[in-house]
Amino acid sequence: MTAMITPVTETPQVREAGATARALRATRRRRAVRALTATTGLTAVVIGLFVLTMMVGSFRLTAQEVVTSVLHLADNPSVDFVVRGLRLPTALSALTVGLALGSSGTVFQQLLRNPLASPDFVGITAGASLAAVTGIVLFQVGGLAVCLLALGGAIAAALLMYVLAWRDGVSGYRFILIGIGVAVFFEGITGYMLTRAELFEARQAMHWLTGSVGQASDAELKLLSAALVVLLPLAVLLSRRLRVLELGDDSARALGARVERTRALLLGTAVLLVALAVAVAGPIVFVALVAGPIANRLLGPATGGIAAAALVGAALLLSADLIAVHLLPTPLPTGVVTGAVGAPYLLWLLATTNRQGAGG
Amino acid sequence: MTRLRAEGLTLGYDAQPIVRDLDVTVLDGKVTAIVGANACGKSTLLRGLARLLRPRAGTVVLDGRAMAELSTLEVAKVLGLLPQAPVAPDGITVADLVSRGRYPHQGWFRTWTDRDHDAVARALDATDTADLVDRPLRQLSGGQRQRVWVAMALAQDTDLLLLDEPTTFLDINHQVELLRLLRKLNGESGKTIVAVLHDINLASRYCDHIIAMAGGAIVAEGSPAEVITAELIAKVFGLECVVLTDPVAGTPIIVPAG
Ligand SMILES: Nc1ncnc2c1ncn2[C@@H]1O[C@H](COP(=O)(O)OP(=O)(O)OP(=O)(O)O)[C@@H](O)[C@H]1O
Ligand SMILES: [Mg+2]
Repeated sequence: MTAMITPVTETPQVREAGATARALRATRRRRAVRALTATTGLTAVVIGLFVLTMMVGSFRLTAQEVVTSVLHLADNPSVDFVVRGLRLPTALSALTVGLALGSSGTVFQQLLRNPLASPDFVGITAGASLAAVTGIVLFQVGGLAVCLLALGGAIAAALLMYVLAWRDGVSGYRFILIGIGVAVFFEGITGYMLTRAELFEARQAMHWLTGSVGQASDAELKLLSAALVVLLPLAVLLSRRLRVLELGDDSARALGARVERTRALLLGTAVLLVALAVAVAGPIVFVALVAGPIANRLLGPATGGIAAAALVGAALLLSADLIAVHLLPTPLPTGVVTGAVGAPYLLWLLATTNRQGAGG
Repeated sequence: MTRLRAEGLTLGYDAQPIVRDLDVTVLDGKVTAIVGANACGKSTLLRGLARLLRPRAGTVVLDGRAMAELSTLEVAKVLGLLPQAPVAPDGITVADLVSRGRYPHQGWFRTWTDRDHDAVARALDATDTADLVDRPLRQLSGGQRQRVWVAMALAQDTDLLLLDEPTTFLDINHQVELLRLLRKLNGESGKTIVAVLHDINLASRYCDHIIAMAGGAIVAEGSPAEVITAELIAKVFGLECVVLTDPVAGTPIIVPAG
């Protein structure tokens, strides 16, 4: 007996010439429109929240009063005092810190090809905290000095990790594991510092450690804003190369990217951004972790829009500040609110990453 | 003049070199297959030729100039490589991935020209992946995914193309299709192609030139008829086999003996 073979008839697909190119153009256009819409929408949301945070409080203001005062369009001493004197610094701090955290987080995640690779977890924030707490406890410093110490601590931690994780280049997984180890080590020392502190310094240090956008001084804000003006466009400009680095070192090099140099440049930019943000507002957790994934939800998977992630970060922090200061019965530091919202997300991320096996 | 050759090339990762003092010349306008047992250094050689691995000693010469003197972008415009195990970010779509192959042809600011669109479209059409453009890579079958990767390498539109096991995961039809595609690219635009292949019979049938490697060295090279002998297969793979003649193409084919 011979086996039966059912004939499979398949109509040969002859594609009309140029059809693929047309489909491709349509796809690209759709993506571009989506990116533009999402980014514009996010910008509007951020501006809206920015104005809103300055309207609410014990002395309520209208949007028009806020805007005219911020832009110096009208003179009204009492409004100006509340807006420019009291609320604008906090709002600006939330805006700039959010932009910095959002952009830095997404660069880390894309560069290390892991959604868990947020600067919160890879020891950079912990380095900043250790330096700041050491300064407060041992040397009784405050204000700008703490900010600069935190900045130095973050950068030192990043350099330390780069040295530790380096072996023929930096591989994402090793970087994260070493980062987590370094973070735990730093946190341990920070805890030890706190036990050695006098009551006043301990309170100050604890306050710094929860993270708050309301504590930034004028000088700190100027520093962060100036850095953002340079670093954010640089990160956006480098994102084309980041797209290629995401394909792995071999493919990236084959496509003509100077892998090590580009990675160092991107890491440096991201480290500076997060270091400045932490220096200004203390360790505000989870914003850097969630901003990138939320931006990707809006723009489409693997689009990795850095500008969009920065805007998401700003929107998150402005909202967290609104909730922390105005919606809760007793005002809380911003970091507590972002932590409460971010922790469930982290658990979800850990649960799903393992299941998909995409952790490394 | 040959466009790509290596002299005294020594390559390695840790203490021990994998490829030692190797000379090789890639024949212009030909399709070359590299064959050899697992871990004999095929991928290492390919990575060395595409400057993904810095030589411990020796030089790779591209278009008459030492590769070390060329900028990596200059190299990427004429020499493409598909790695054995490429990686892609989560959720990336086919259109996005293949488009990234255009990187070396674009400037600082993302400017998409008609040339880019056409190159990507041609790559998609050639690999039969045009219908997949909006699909996430992760949702594709292994073979579809492999063809998408080949499309990305093709979109780079280089004169020389190095492919590390481009036929893995492919069914027999798509393996043949892919090799025919390589032949076609070679015939139509004179592309020089080097592919690591594990199927000796397909290599013999579709390639002009075969390089057989063992222990990091080249043990034989030449036309399929010259290279594919029972002795060589025994030496390279440790397999007893009989060499027959392909009834269709007249090229040698092997069947295991005993
Ligand atoms: N990144 C690496 N680091 C250290 N050793 C490596 C690395 N890549 C390959 N090797 C070693 O180099 C040797 C040759 O590997 P290579 O990948 O070149 O083999 P191959 O011929 O391509 O094998 P296969 O057919 O399995 O792909 C192996 O012994 C392997 O263990
Ligand atoms: Mg290999």
